[in-house]
Amino acid sequence: MTAELIFIFLTAAIINNFVFKYFLGICPFLGVSRRVDMAVGMGFAVTFVMTVAGVLTWIVYDLVLTRIGLEFLQYITFILIIAGAVQLVEMYIRKFFPSLYESFGIFLPMITTNCAILGACLFIQKFEYGFVQTLVFSIGAGLGFALAITIMAGIREELDFADVPKPFRGPGITLLTAAILAMAFSGFLIKR
Amino acid sequence: MLIGAIPIAAISIVGWSVLVLFLLALAFALGLTIASIKLRVEQDPRIDQVEQALPGANCGGCGMAGCAAFAKAVVLGKAPVTGCPVGGPSCGERIAAIMGVSFEMKVKTRPVLHCVAGSASRKLRAPYHGSLRCSEANLIPGVQGCAYGCLGLGDCIEVCKFGALRMEDGLPIFDYAKCTSCGACVTACPRGLIELIPFKNEQMLVVGCSSRDPGKVVRQVCDAGCLGCGACARKSDVFAANGNLACIDYEKYTDVDSLKEAFAKCPAKALVVFGPTGRIPVKDVYAKPSDTEADRTEEAATPA
Repeated sequence: MTAELIFIFLTAAIINNFVFKYFLGICPFLGVSRRVDMAVGMGFAVTFVMTVAGVLTWIVYDLVLTRIGLEFLQYITFILIIAGAVQLVEMYIRKFFPSLYESFGIFLPMITTNCAILGACLFIQKFEYGFVQTLVFSIGAGLGFALAITIMAGIREELDFADVPKPFRGPGITLLTAAILAMAFSGFLIKR
Repeated sequence: MLIGAIPIAAISIVGWSVLVLFLLALAFALGLTIASIKLRVEQDPRIDQVEQALPGANCGGCGMAGCAAFAKAVVLGKAPVTGCPVGGPSCGERIAAIMGVSFEMKVKTRPVLHCVAGSASRKLRAPYHGSLRCSEANLIPGVQGCAYGCLGLGDCIEVCKFGALRMEDGLPIFDYAKCTSCGACVTACPRGLIELIPFKNEQMLVVGCSSRDPGKVVRQVCDAGCLGCGACARKSDVFAANGNLACIDYEKYTDVDSLKEAFAKCPAKALVVFGPTGRIPVKDVYAKPSDTEADRTEEAATPA
């Protein structure tokens, strides 16, 4: 059981990294990776929302939808749950952890429309995880995203001082960097 | 379990879908409503008021993440009440009223040309057949009589990305409707004739000359240049005669009308008014509405 959970965690975080393997959550990955502190904030905000959304959707899907044969409603219910949960979480954090709310800032509501969150919820159903596995998978996938965006931000901070050839400046060099990073992460894939 | 107890076949799949979604939505609506009351954070009511006064486009033009962030920054005193570029002065006024501070719109700066010598007033030493760029022509000492005045070759027009400049009678004319005060023309002019000045009113009085030569020399090369006589400075302390050239202190400057007397004393007519459409003949500005028409025709007959 423990070994399986560790396997799920590492797979979600590194091997099947959401950004580098599935190309999910690319917009914040490219948009908020200009400074390391912002990237870390975004990474942990995503981890947090992903965990909450993963668990909630698992509850609704496995305990309600599958019992009455409404699996086809998963997209619409998931979107509803993610949006509602983020709102609720935002209010809660704002009330009880004002400093955390300040540091999350605009990211928290932005994550509502992040495809990585919906992707994680759909993967959980696809792999037919149980509750604990869902929890571990969500945290792993979120931390994987945080890892990816932090590495990217670190590289981009250095790139600001680099002498980039003119045609590659701006989005060009960013996308090339992301591609090389994705190639590096593909090294974790095990060939059977 | 309750759900298991209901005979599933009794309700169609559509009915179930509607029911489940309705219940989910209801649960979230109730939850969020209760949460918004229970988890209410007491905050400065002015933040909401300021946000109401803003356009609400969340465009980020102010440099903040959105209108809510800007409203908060205003209330905390971290952003100016006039910080919203979309709302403009009226929005700034409303916010200033909420914040209880006096409203003072940031004065726009616009470029003006410190030279009024059109091609007729400009005296040449010899015909010029060289390069047609100001930056290159400026290297030749004898390109024209006046070593300070506009060359009229249009480096400033070329550099303007917004098409706000055009050449008329050998002098660039600014179209302030298109101008963004980027300052490109200021750096492009090799003689440093263009300056960004604060436009406190729509019409601003400007010294239309940059020549620091003595009055006698100016007379020899130009019909319109400032002689540095200091007549204006004696009439109003907004002016100062500084090394053979009058200059205006825009800190003290209020409006065109208050400087009417000083203007009347100017023997060289080197003072000009810049307005929304560029350079305006000063006669038109000071003329009474009834005789404006007559002055205009006169102006047209004898080009300045």
